Amino acid sequence: MSPANPTRREVIQGSVALGATLVLPNALSANLQETPAFNEDVARARLPKIEDRVPEEPAVADLQTIGRPGGELRMLMAGPKDTRMMVVYGYARLVAYTPELELVPDILKSIEIEGNRVYTLHLRKGHKWSDGHPFTSEDFRYWYEDVAHNKHLSPSGLPITMMPAGEGPRFEVLDDVTVRYSWKHANPLFLPSVAGPDPLFIYRPFHYLKQFHEKYADKAALETLVQQANQRNWVALHNRLDSMYRNDNPDLPSLQPWVLKTKPPSDRFIFERNPYYYRVDKQGQQLPYIDRVVLSIADSKIIPAKTGAGESDLQGRYLRFDNYTFLKASEQHNNFKVWLWRTGPGSQLALYPNLNVNDEVWQALMRDLRFRRALSLAVNRHEINQVIYFGLAIEGQNTVLPQSPLYRPEYRSAWASFDVPEANRLLDLIGLTKRDRDGIRLLPDERPMEIIVENSGESTEQSDVLELIRDAWRRIGIKLFAKPSQLTLFRRRVFSGETLMSIDKGVENGLATAAMSPWEFAPTTQQQLEWPKWGQYYETKGAAGEAPSLPSAIRLKELYEAWLAGGSQQDHAQTWKNILQVWADEVFSIGTVAGVLQPIVVNDRLRNVPEQGIYNWDPGAYFGIYKPDGFWFELSEAPAKSAAATTRSAAPL
Amino acid sequence: MLSYLVHRILIMIPTLIAISIVIFTIINLPQGNYFTTYVAELQASGEATDLAKIQFLEQEYGLDRPLWQQYLYWAFGLLHGDMGYSFAYNLPVNKVVGDRLFLTFLVSFATILFTYVASFPIGVYSATHQYSWADYGLTFLGFLGLATPSFLLALVLLYFANVYLGISIGGLMDPQYIDKPWSAPKALSVLAHLWIPVIVIGTAGTASMIRRLRANLLDELQRQYVVTARAKGLHPLKLLFKYPLRMALNPFISDIGSLLPHVISGAAIVSVVMSLPTTGPMLLDALRSQDMYLAGSFLMFMAFLTVIGVFVSDIALAILDPRIRLQAGRRR
Repeated sequence: MSPANPTRREVIQGSVALGATLVLPNALSANLQETPAFNEDVARARLPKIEDRVPEEPAVADLQTIGRPGGELRMLMAGPKDTRMMVVYGYARLVAYTPELELVPDILKSIEIEGNRVYTLHLRKGHKWSDGHPFTSEDFRYWYEDVAHNKHLSPSGLPITMMPAGEGPRFEVLDDVTVRYSWKHANPLFLPSVAGPDPLFIYRPFHYLKQFHEKYADKAALETLVQQANQRNWVALHNRLDSMYRNDNPDLPSLQPWVLKTKPPSDRFIFERNPYYYRVDKQGQQLPYIDRVVLSIADSKIIPAKTGAGESDLQGRYLRFDNYTFLKASEQHNNFKVWLWRTGPGSQLALYPNLNVNDEVWQALMRDLRFRRALSLAVNRHEINQVIYFGLAIEGQNTVLPQSPLYRPEYRSAWASFDVPEANRLLDLIGLTKRDRDGIRLLPDERPMEIIVENSGESTEQSDVLELIRDAWRRIGIKLFAKPSQLTLFRRRVFSGETLMSIDKGVENGLATAAMSPWEFAPTTQQQLEWPKWGQYYETKGAAGEAPSLPSAIRLKELYEAWLAGGSQQDHAQTWKNILQVWADEVFSIGTVAGVLQPIVVNDRLRNVPEQGIYNWDPGAYFGIYKPDGFWFELSEAPAKSAAATTRSAAPL
Repeated sequence: MLSYLVHRILIMIPTLIAISIVIFTIINLPQGNYFTTYVAELQASGEATDLAKIQFLEQEYGLDRPLWQQYLYWAFGLLHGDMGYSFAYNLPVNKVVGDRLFLTFLVSFATILFTYVASFPIGVYSATHQYSWADYGLTFLGFLGLATPSFLLALVLLYFANVYLGISIGGLMDPQYIDKPWSAPKALSVLAHLWIPVIVIGTAGTASMIRRLRANLLDELQRQYVVTARAKGLHPLKLLFKYPLRMALNPFISDIGSLLPHVISGAAIVSVVMSLPTTGPMLLDALRSQDMYLAGSFLMFMAFLTVIGVFVSDIALAILDPRIRLQAGRRR
């Protein structure tokens, strides 16, 4: 928490806390222990000694149990594109979230922030890429000057999160290990985007990529490389090889704990430990503990079955809650544990009345607050929870989860009780009193009130939930039809205003803290199913879409802009509070249940995986937030000491 | 004969052009392209992507040009053996397909072999013992194979193979052999996995094969030359194999045409369920994600094989059965 009167120069305060344990006393470097897997390479001088491989001040991991290096971690993935998941799980970031959702320096030794405007980044001296080449401010300069500002490589210029109020930063290299970004306006989006699961990489391995860059490479040599790779030009070649996130180029140096060794295409991808990784445990053993990670590619539908057969050591992806009983049944037979983690979306499924629907009669209704509240009151969340989620989920609106520091019970319970008489009263108040012979209410133009709820047709779960809502809405005189469609088509129809109402996942980030952007709660992008045209208007700066016309939506947009401009943490927290209050009152989306459980399969011998955790994309990076580089394999077959591992998990559930 | 061959070869050209246009049109019928589909998927799972980047990629791969230009570009490449670029794999199409072709061949040949081995004796037996209990029993078995949904059979067999034999679920080999050079243990592992897809895909084809062979053979067995041969005291088995069975084989030769593309496409649904590293699931994925050059070029390859296959089977028929006249179908 920042002090009441923050000094002008906050050193890792406010939104970013400095983990005291992250600064290593120099004395420890004498105790660095060589990794057994590298003994031979070091003895034959094919690899420098460990003292020369880790940074001078390595990050020291605070782990639940000190591990034993070695072993191979097997995981299942559904396609060759899933190699990117190793960047997500690896979670080596300049700054990273802790399980308590605090931002701390990770790859960086430290960071200084002045009023959310000036960010000074300090690298670790002696930090190296996975090929042994030094990782310095030159790598930051290369990205900023030669990639982000190159009109061929980045035709749209700097990423949005680096352009507060449309202006880019001033970039300075202070020395080999220090760079500074200074903006004119506050830029609270910068650190969260760098810490994301799909992070903004503001550095690139200059020594490797320069051979493919027009500015540095010899013209003839580059031309040959382009032709050899069968690419159109150097831009395509550079884009193809510069895959820090896609992670499909085994030659690209990396900072992640495990580095890709298999050249695509393949059905089995092998990742080996990064010999120059920057983290060590308290006994001076270099992380990651696990020597190799193997991703086997299988069809996503067969992955639960393969997992149940014991073919994965750590699996969450492609497992669903309804696989739980099957997995649990094979638990003993195949030596793994099935744990249940909470998921992070604000609602597992939410209904989105389309405020931009083309039909004018319906549009007027959708924009009527009483109508949205009535619809929400007529959803029996308890029934949905019991019937579909075994009563294990959290009922309520589509908003932040109890684990979020911004949470208040009234946000979740607002207009979320099952109250048919009150819903009927609200509808009567609007004037929808005429009914047809079947008891269905009539619209002002005498059409029966039939709401077609469209979805992307990807899971039967949506249809099941809709079936329950259909029965409940029948009691307030509204007929519901479910229309499964196909993802692209579904979104296109919502965007163009043809869809009356849609059902989809709730807000992505139910774990928001004050430092995270509240963009999901304001009309900011076309992707928002409740107001696609207003979102598009904001996104395109007024070039397309429609300007928001509902005062409450305008208010949310203003609050969002206030958050962007805000400096201190109190400002941000206050803005968030206002946003969530408006959001709760206005019922722009109708939530069902949240915190649905995600089965996590963990090998009996795998240690340091928390028994209770959050399985979330951002913040979370799925396993990333728990730092898999500290997971390790016990030699014996003893059952996992789950009690010891739970204390590292996030806030109580 | 020669003019017939030339005529047949020449007619292949317009056929293939027509097929390529149809393929290209159908692949492009759904709205959007690979990049919009991909981005929609990413956004649905919460991974935001820069919209400007899509435009950039579309330009880079020429997807912003009119369709006819894209078609010409693709067709021109095909003529030079360039099958285009797969967006999903970020690789040239022939590199993506190449690795999978061998295993697909293997599965398909084993399946065809299985189908023949299972259906020939049964077909011959039920024809020679028409309306006997054995005929009914075996026919029933064949229909059972046809009627059982193959994906269900696949799942059941996978489960039992895993629980009782300890064979890893799905795939064509144990995971540790993937991408390794061929060796004896690897070949054994492949054999251990191969039987399930072979039985599953094979059972569906066995019934139709049995019925066809039985019907053809029954026709022949009524013929006068059979009666004559019997009257003259020829050994029943020798008679059967020397005359009516050979006659009954014609439909199988004309089947070669459809067999060739089948061999490389594999059975897509079963392969998806069993997660086989064959071309079937790849094609399905490519069509779903609108990876148009991968899907288009692969379909084109299959069309090419079909045309060749039909050609070969026609020639083979003409050579094997002198009663077939080449000129019969031609108008002067």
